Amino acid sequence: MTDAAMTPENARAPKSLKQEDARTKKRNASERRFRAYGIAAICTGLFFLLALLSAILSAGLPAFRQAVVEVPFTLTQEQYDEAEEAMLKTAIYTGYFITSLSDTMEAEGVEIEFDNKAVERLLGKVGGDLRAYYRDNEDEIGEQIGFELAASSRVDRYLKGTFTREDLQGGNRFFMPEDFDLIDAMQEAGLVKQVFNWNFITGVDTGVDNPGGAGIGASVLGSFFMMLVVLVLSLPIGVAASIYLEEFAPKNRFTDFIEVNIANLAAVPSIVFGILGLAVFIQFAHLPQSAPLVGGLVLTLMTLPTIIISTRASLKAVPPSIRDAALGVGASKMQAVFHHVLPLAAPGILTGTIIGLAQALGETAPLLLIGMVGFVARYPDTFVEGFLEPNSAVPAQIYNWAARSDAVFTEKAWGGIIVLLLFLVTMNTIAVILRRRFERRW
Amino acid sequence: MNDMRIVERDLDQNDVKIAAKGVQVYYGDNHAIKDVDVEIDDKTVTAFIGPSGCGKSTFLRCINRMNDTIDVARMEGNILIDGEDIYDPKVDPVQLRAKVGMVFQKPNPFPKSIYDNVAYGPRIHGLAKNKAELDELVEKSLRRGAIWDEVKDRLDAPGTGLSGGQQQRLCIARAVATEPEVLLMDEPCSALDPIATAQVEELIDELRQSYSVVIVTHSMQQAARVSQKTAFFHLGNLVEYGETGQIFTNPNDPRTESYITGRIG
Repeated sequence: MTDAAMTPENARAPKSLKQEDARTKKRNASERRFRAYGIAAICTGLFFLLALLSAILSAGLPAFRQAVVEVPFTLTQEQYDEAEEAMLKTAIYTGYFITSLSDTMEAEGVEIEFDNKAVERLLGKVGGDLRAYYRDNEDEIGEQIGFELAASSRVDRYLKGTFTREDLQGGNRFFMPEDFDLIDAMQEAGLVKQVFNWNFITGVDTGVDNPGGAGIGASVLGSFFMMLVVLVLSLPIGVAASIYLEEFAPKNRFTDFIEVNIANLAAVPSIVFGILGLAVFIQFAHLPQSAPLVGGLVLTLMTLPTIIISTRASLKAVPPSIRDAALGVGASKMQAVFHHVLPLAAPGILTGTIIGLAQALGETAPLLLIGMVGFVARYPDTFVEGFLEPNSAVPAQIYNWAARSDAVFTEKAWGGIIVLLLFLVTMNTIAVILRRRFERRW
Repeated sequence: MNDMRIVERDLDQNDVKIAAKGVQVYYGDNHAIKDVDVEIDDKTVTAFIGPSGCGKSTFLRCINRMNDTIDVARMEGNILIDGEDIYDPKVDPVQLRAKVGMVFQKPNPFPKSIYDNVAYGPRIHGLAKNKAELDELVEKSLRRGAIWDEVKDRLDAPGTGLSGGQQQRLCIARAVATEPEVLLMDEPCSALDPIATAQVEELIDELRQSYSVVIVTHSMQQAARVSQKTAFFHLGNLVEYGETGQIFTNPNDPRTESYITGRIG
């Protein structure tokens, strides 16, 4: 026995343990190399993530800011009466505003000539806004108020630096070269400021004549209604299907076939689900086109495999000893599953569901096919209409904006991406928190 | 075997509780139990011993039809409890398992409170009419599980937070709470330290007053200490079955002798 052990022993020179032999050196070197590869891979990933985030944030954050012009304004009772008796009421109000604006600028030591056309180009239909305000708030006549007017999208972009004098060739009905001087003058007089653009969050889509007013609100609501449909349908169906397959179904060819198909379904391109939805839900079942209900149904089909797979994985992860314990005290199969296995699998199921929902929230391709990319410029009036009226979804709205020529819409598209990412991050955070919370309990 | 008292142990003649006739079990193509006939007495501790993989746990799981939950397992032959064939198609395994309780090798309390662990069986079988009765039943079961004094102040604490020995005694309390007539124990002490083992063994001896206890064990000392009858399994065969004292001191079969003296196994 000793002889046999001695022979290969000679190959390794008997040296001090403090000295690395050649083999050990080689092994250590390869481990060091492997670690270096790992760190390099992580750094590359982080670099791309940072590049992506900085691109999104730098291009999208301006969409959340909005330039406004604040002009102190006083309307006397006589002016009000005079304007209300005139034929062209809003023109008179515009006149008052221009007087007030030039007075304010003169007081600040800035002098510039401008007409009411220029004011309309820069600040919209000021006269109408003023009149509407005073008709609603008659008690404020005679008092000085600071009137905030949203600047037009080109002014906004000029102030943000994405639109310069060189970009404008000759001018058009939206903007003239001399308008730049007026903006500069107003800025010098300290009338221009940046505020948070609530309209982007709450507003609806707009046409080319008012790109600055476009908001993502209606499509957020459309996405919300779709997610509601997805949650209500895919969670019970998915969980019931997985419990049956995992706990009750006999293991035979047929269930194997179903299993393979569910796994395959998870890998089917989403556009296929879109065309399926178009054929089945719209052309065959005659559900309304472009409706969040149909979008939700299509996304349910997409989400089901994700939920089934994650639910089955978490059911499998419940130790069999728990099932034995329940069966051993005389619980039926169903009692064992519903009293013991399902509560233990719940965090995993919840996580899977939320991740499936987040996936569905970001899905665009199937929505293109069922027509959820239309121009939607109003909110649904009732809850039911929210499901049945044509609407858009956040990613479809982003796609829509990105395809338009006006640069303002491009900015809005980036802003929409930030909104979408915020939703996704929130949902994933909820998934992590739920998992932590429930896992600690057991 | 230094414990020679086992030969002097008196054996009351008890009625037969479980009678197995020609039991065969297959796991797929693997013939795990080969033609086992055995009669297990009421109010007796019967130990199943034998090397790993000899089929003693498999046979134990046949007695409360836990093998039904394994898809590939197939069983032939009859097992009668009180003269009734438990593999009769009319028998509901759920009802059977309420009558034949089981304690597993690894302590497996539910991840619920200690109270709920014990109360679960009575609840699903409707053994208590109201909360007071249930409380009483839980206390009685925990006392029989010899764990009441340790947990009476923290019945709301999770059962999984107890030590290994306490968990196993909790599982025994849970099993007796459904008031079974037969208690099957699959190596109940293999995960326990000697002190917890001693407590569980003491408990098994007490449980003999009311139940027919069948225990699978790898420890021959344990079999000798707690059982009145012993069955030796080898390679799926029931080699020898008889009074514990006789098996350990004067085995009939050379294989039994080899096993208890440590030459095989």
